[in-house]
Amino acid sequence: MPQMTPEQQKELQERIKNMSPEELQEFQKQQCIFCQIIAGKVPAKKVYEDDKCVAVLDINPAAKGHLLLLPKEHYGIMPQIPEPILAHLAVASKHLSQLLLKSLRVDGTTIFVANGLAAGQKAQHFMIHLIPRKEDDNALPFEEKLVSKERQEKVKVAVENKLYQLLGVKKESIQLKLPQEDYFEEKPEIFITSNNAKRYHKEKCAFAQNINSEHRIEMTPEQVANSGKKPCTCITGEKIPLPAKTKTESELDNSKKTKPNKKASPAAKSTKKNSKSRITQKEEEEPEEEFEPEDEHKVDLDDIANLFR
Amino acid sequence: MNCEYCELRKSAVLYEDKDVAVIIKDMAVTPGQITVLPKQHFTILEMVPNELVEKCFIVANKVSIAIFEGLGSQGTNLVVQNGLSAGQTVPHFAIEVVPRKEEDGLNLQWQPKPLSEPELESLLSQLSEVKVDLNEKAEAKEKQEIKVKDEKTEMIVEKEGKNNYLLKSIRRTP
Repeated sequence: MPQMTPEQQKELQERIKNMSPEELQEFQKQQCIFCQIIAGKVPAKKVYEDDKCVAVLDINPAAKGHLLLLPKEHYGIMPQIPEPILAHLAVASKHLSQLLLKSLRVDGTTIFVANGLAAGQKAQHFMIHLIPRKEDDNALPFEEKLVSKERQEKVKVAVENKLYQLLGVKKESIQLKLPQEDYFEEKPEIFITSNNAKRYHKEKCAFAQNINSEHRIEMTPEQVANSGKKPCTCITGEKIPLPAKTKTESELDNSKKTKPNKKASPAAKSTKKNSKSRITQKEEEEPEEEFEPEDEHKVDLDDIANLFR
Repeated sequence: MNCEYCELRKSAVLYEDKDVAVIIKDMAVTPGQITVLPKQHFTILEMVPNELVEKCFIVANKVSIAIFEGLGSQGTNLVVQNGLSAGQTVPHFAIEVVPRKEEDGLNLQWQPKPLSEPELESLLSQLSEVKVDLNEKAEAKEKQEIKVKDEKTEMIVEKEGKNNYLLKSIRRTP
């Protein structure tokens, strides 16, 4: 384009402002280099031409043999193109891709369309890029990363209404297959606890299985965090020492002796607390269920420590 | 053959009819990427019948419009990776529709490699040797040739398959 003086530029901007959309489109056509190529006013290397489209060699190619497939009519972006023309362009790009494969002996092609400036569109004229590809030419980087299921769902929700409207289908008539669960992260974890328990457990934890179905409460990780309960060793990952198998008989006797003493103290505490907070008999039973195995661990720990002495 | 797109697994299906499916894959260059593909298995574009190619592109265009409006994108890219050397990862023809925003950090551009005038001339004559005919009839003649080519690609895919990370993770013993 010839250089313009600032005055001329201003004048032009004024003119563009006052134009109707039709006039603007006409103006764009006049300015469009590709429209001039199609009209034969600007020389270009035409590889293919029919009544609806033209394919030319790109003068700034990504690779040797890079083709531009242009509709003869001026369109800015793909959504403006009538379906029959688009269909024709699609078939043409298929055959031109085939041409590249055959005559350039490449083993792949990239078909690329940019709609809008943000997508890297440089010319005002819609075009389909056909790029012959060879292995490791890195002509077009396209690195895919993992997308979470939630984001996939969000995209679906955002796009589906408009898409169904465009495709002329009712939402109800479509079977929406949700992705199979096992390909994604497992279900949100559930922790088991009860009203009076001080700790919460994983589902498989022995303590959790000891809790009666009456008192059993299932909680999400968030609920558990707000409940003020402590995590069990099954969650913290601390090692629970092996049960008494390795112990000698005398040690077993020892542990039996120590057990009742230790057991008595928390039980006594709990009854004190209970009397203060007026907890009913039923609920009173339950903390004991939990305390029992925990105390056993304490004994085991002591015993094992003793072994080293 | 075990094809990820034929089974439509690992993806949320947005739309499907007897010919095409629109899916949201778990792999994308940017979240919001939507894939349009024929339901029947074709490895590369050249194998897909004209009518189906037309339909795929028309649906891809509608997906593109839906992305513009639904996701508030400022642009879209359509990408077909046709063949292994074009970066095709699944041996099933598909059109990727990528939503774009300014400064989204995506680099879907190429480094221009300008050619000299004689180079362009020789290229043009090279390309003129094969006649392009959009009719299906012309296609029928060439079908055999394509078949041979396709077997080659499939073999490569199979070879690659042994080093495929997906297969590796399946075979890995826990």
